Amino acid sequence: MIPRWSRWLARGAQSPIHANYLIQLRLRDFWVIISRIALLILILGGWEWATRSGWLDPFLFGSPSKIVDLFWQMTSTGGLFRDIGITTFETIGGFILGTASGVALASLIWASPFLSRVLDPYLVVLNSMPKVALGPLFIVTIGAGYGSIIAMAIAITIIITTLVIHTAFQNVSPDYHRLARSFGASRRQLFTTIIFPACIPDMIAALKVNVGLAWVGVIVGEFLVAKEGLGYLIIYGFQVFNLNLVMLSLLIIALCATLMYIIVNALEKRLLRHRQLEN
Amino acid sequence: MATNALEAIDVSKTYLSRQDQVTALAPISFRIPSGSFVSFVGASGCGKSTILSLVAGLISPTSGELRLFDEPIKRPSPRISYMLQQDCLLDWRTVSENITLGLSFRGQNNTKSASHARYLLGELGLSHTLNQYPSQLSGGMRQRVALVRTLAVQPELLLLDEPFSALDYQNKLHLEELLVNVLQGRKMTALLVTHDLEEAIALSDTILVMGGRPGVLRRIIEVPGEIRKASPLAARSQPAFRSLFNELWKEIETP
Ligand SMILES: Nc1ncnc2c1ncn2[C@@H]1O[C@H](COP(=O)(O)OP(=O)(O)O)[C@@H](O)[C@H]1O
Ligand SMILES: [Mg+2]
Repeated sequence: MIPRWSRWLARGAQSPIHANYLIQLRLRDFWVIISRIALLILILGGWEWATRSGWLDPFLFGSPSKIVDLFWQMTSTGGLFRDIGITTFETIGGFILGTASGVALASLIWASPFLSRVLDPYLVVLNSMPKVALGPLFIVTIGAGYGSIIAMAIAITIIITTLVIHTAFQNVSPDYHRLARSFGASRRQLFTTIIFPACIPDMIAALKVNVGLAWVGVIVGEFLVAKEGLGYLIIYGFQVFNLNLVMLSLLIIALCATLMYIIVNALEKRLLRHRQLEN
Repeated sequence: MATNALEAIDVSKTYLSRQDQVTALAPISFRIPSGSFVSFVGASGCGKSTILSLVAGLISPTSGELRLFDEPIKRPSPRISYMLQQDCLLDWRTVSENITLGLSFRGQNNTKSASHARYLLGELGLSHTLNQYPSQLSGGMRQRVALVRTLAVQPELLLLDEPFSALDYQNKLHLEELLVNVLQGRKMTALLVTHDLEEAIALSDTILVMGGRPGVLRRIIEVPGEIRKASPLAARSQPAFRSLFNELWKEIETP
C-alpha cells in the first residue's frame, strides 16, 4: 500500500534523492488542495450552521442550502440561464470592444505625434473621471437596453487601454526604429511589422484587466437599466428582501468572472508561446 | 582604380534638445576606399556611433557633406546595411522570417533573395535553425542571425556598431572568423565601430582613431600586411599585433 503510494508520488524521478524531493513537493501540493477544500467546507458549513442556529439572521445573510434550492428552482423555470447569458454577453462584448477601440485609438495617436500631444490632457481628464457617472447620459442617448450597458463597459475600459497601449508603443526600443529606418521602412511599415506585434503581450495584459473592469461596468449598467441580467437580479433581490437571490447572483458573477479570466489566461499562453519572458 | 565608397567632407554634428545642445562631432573628413575594412576606435562618447548614424542616413549632418559612391547621402540608402549591438530579432517570427525582414521592408522579398538569405544562414552554420524561434537560440546564434539579416539585402557598404561587444570571448572570435569568411570574395566595404582594440586590429585594413568631446579624428593607422592576411585568430599571435595594440592603447589613453 505505502510503497505504491510513494511510487506514484515519485513518478518521473531520475534518482533516489530526486524521488525524495518529488515526494515532498507533491505531498505539499496535495495538502494545499485538501486545505483549500476544507476551508470552503468550513465557510459554507459555518454559514449554514450560523443561520440555522440563529447566530446570523437568515433574512439578512441567506443560507447556502436556500441558495442551492433557489438555484434549482430558477434553473427549472429557465429564467436564470437567460440572465446569466445576457450579462455574460454584455461583458464579453464590453471588454472586447473596449480593448479593441482602446488599441485602435492608441494606434491613431501613435500615427500622429502631434495629435498625441494635443489629446494628452483630454485623455488624462477622461481617465481620472469616474466613468460610471456617464451612465445616465448613455441611457438618455442610447436608450435603456443592452446598448447602454455595453457602452458603460466600453467607457470604463477604453481610456485606460489607450493610455497603457500607447505607452507600450512608445516603449519599444529605439534600436528597432533605427533598424527599420535603416532598411528604408516607412513609419507605417515600422508600426505594422514591429511596433504593433511587439506590443501584443501588452494588449493581452490589458484584456485581462479589462475583463474585471467590464464586469463593473456591466453590473452598474444593469443596476441603472434594471430590466434583466445578473445585476438586475441583485437590485431586484434587494428590493424584495430576497437576500438568497442577491447571494446567488454574486456567486454566479464570481464564477463567470473567474472562468473568463482563466480563458483569457489560456489565450495568453497560447499566443505568447514563442516569446521570451524578459523584455 | 581606387574609388571611394564613402567620403566625409568637414562633417559635424550637433544634437539639439530643449535643454541644451551637444556637439558630438567636430568637423571631420575622411575617405573610405571601396572594398576596404575600416574601424573606428576611441573612448566612449567621442561620436563613433554618430558617424554611423550619419552614414546610415538616420540623421543629417549639422554641416559638411557625406558622399556614398560619389552621391550625397540624403536618406537611408539601399546600398547600405546597418547592424547594431542589440540583435533586435523579432521574437514572434521564425529565423527564416527574421532574416528576410530587411528584404521585405525594401520590397525585395522574392524567392530568389529569400533563398540567398537561407544560403547565407548556411554559411554562418545555422541552417538547422531556419524554423526555430529566436528564444530558442543562444546569444551568439542570435547575433549570427542578425548578421544574416544585415547581409541578406546584399549591401555594398556594411555598417557595424559594436556588433559583437555583448558576446563572450569565444563567441566573439567565432563571429569575427565567420564575418571575415563571408566578406571574402564579396566586394563589400565595411565600417566597424568598436571599443575592442584587438578586434579592430584583427579585422581591419585601416583604423581611424578618434578622441575628445566633441570627437575629432586623431590618427589613421594602416594595419601591416601580415596581420591583414592572417585570420582574426591567427592575427592575434603575430609579433606585430602586440606592438600595434600598445600603440593604439596609448593613443586612446591620452586625453
Ligand atoms: N540622440 C542624441 N541626442 C543627444 N545627444 C546625443 C545623441 N546621441 C548621442 N549623443 C551625444 O553625442 C556624443 C557622442 O555619442 P556617440 O556617437 O553615441 O558616441 P560613441 O558611439 O563614440 O560612444 C555623446 O556625448 C552623446 O551623449
Ligand atoms: Mg556608440
